[in-house]
Amino acid sequence: MPELPELNPVIHGKLRLALLSLLTGVEEAEFTWLRVKTGSTDGNLGAQLLKLEEAGYVAVEKKFVQRKPQTLYRMTESGRQALTEYVQALKQLLGGAIDA
Amino acid sequence: MTGNPINGEMEELELRDRLSLIENMIAEGRRGTESWGWVFLLWGVAYYVAILWSSTSFLGPIWGRQYLAWPVTMTVACVLTIVIGMRKEGRRPQTTISRAIAAMWMAMGISMFILLLSLGISGRVEQQVFIAIIAAMLGTTNAASSFILKWKMQLACAVVWWAAAVISLFSNVTQSSLVFLLAIFFCQIVFGIYGMMAEARERRLQGASHA
Repeated sequence: MPELPELNPVIHGKLRLALLSLLTGVEEAEFTWLRVKTGSTDGNLGAQLLKLEEAGYVAVEKKFVQRKPQTLYRMTESGRQALTEYVQALKQLLGGAIDA
Repeated sequence: MTGNPINGEMEELELRDRLSLIENMIAEGRRGTESWGWVFLLWGVAYYVAILWSSTSFLGPIWGRQYLAWPVTMTVACVLTIVIGMRKEGRRPQTTISRAIAAMWMAMGISMFILLLSLGISGRVEQQVFIAIIAAMLGTTNAASSFILKWKMQLACAVVWWAAAVISLFSNVTQSSLVFLLAIFFCQIVFGIYGMMAEARERRLQGASHA
């Protein structure tokens, strides 16, 4: 019987998964846009984004636009790879569940 | 997954929930984040200002310089587009599609500016040809944008611009001007207002889905 894959714990968190999925569709996104789309609080969002950043799945850029601070997040290549592998593992697990 | 059927069922539900979260969030990220109706309206008004300015000679020492009408109006419209665009779009993320469309319009704007400025300075310009060039270029860009966005209404605008270009070359100065004014009205003013209304409706729907 083939061994079932393990799900990446960094991505498996609901908010972190939502954030990575959102970032796949855009080139880069501002903190406030991610907050609106996920409906999370500043603190929680910041903490989850930090975990993704530490894992190397998102890159952060801080700059000033019209003298206002702006924090931009973009998905890295390893983040894209990790999400792809996560989805494949998820489908494999669900396939296993359906077969069982 | 696990030996316990209840746990197994719960895990399966959770995994399905994760899968649907991924699909929903990817769709949410790609959903209409652009707001361009105002640009069409602004440029429609700019064309009308330029036409009015270039065709009247009673506006005094500064405004009476008709040769300045197109370069000045187009430059002001360009600056306004950049400034308002930066304010409006600053908080919205850029998608590959939005960047492609913006790049296309910018390239068209630069081409039109260089070409029309050179035509104006060299004096090798005839009104019907001038209108045909503008209309054909606007037709091309609207068509390309409509193919990317799969937006039939914008394709209709492209067809109107192409028709205006052809009609302009087979008509006299007055008829050509009238065709141009009508094309601006439908493809810039009406289409711009329609775009702004569609964007407002989309924003309301998105607001409702997040409430």
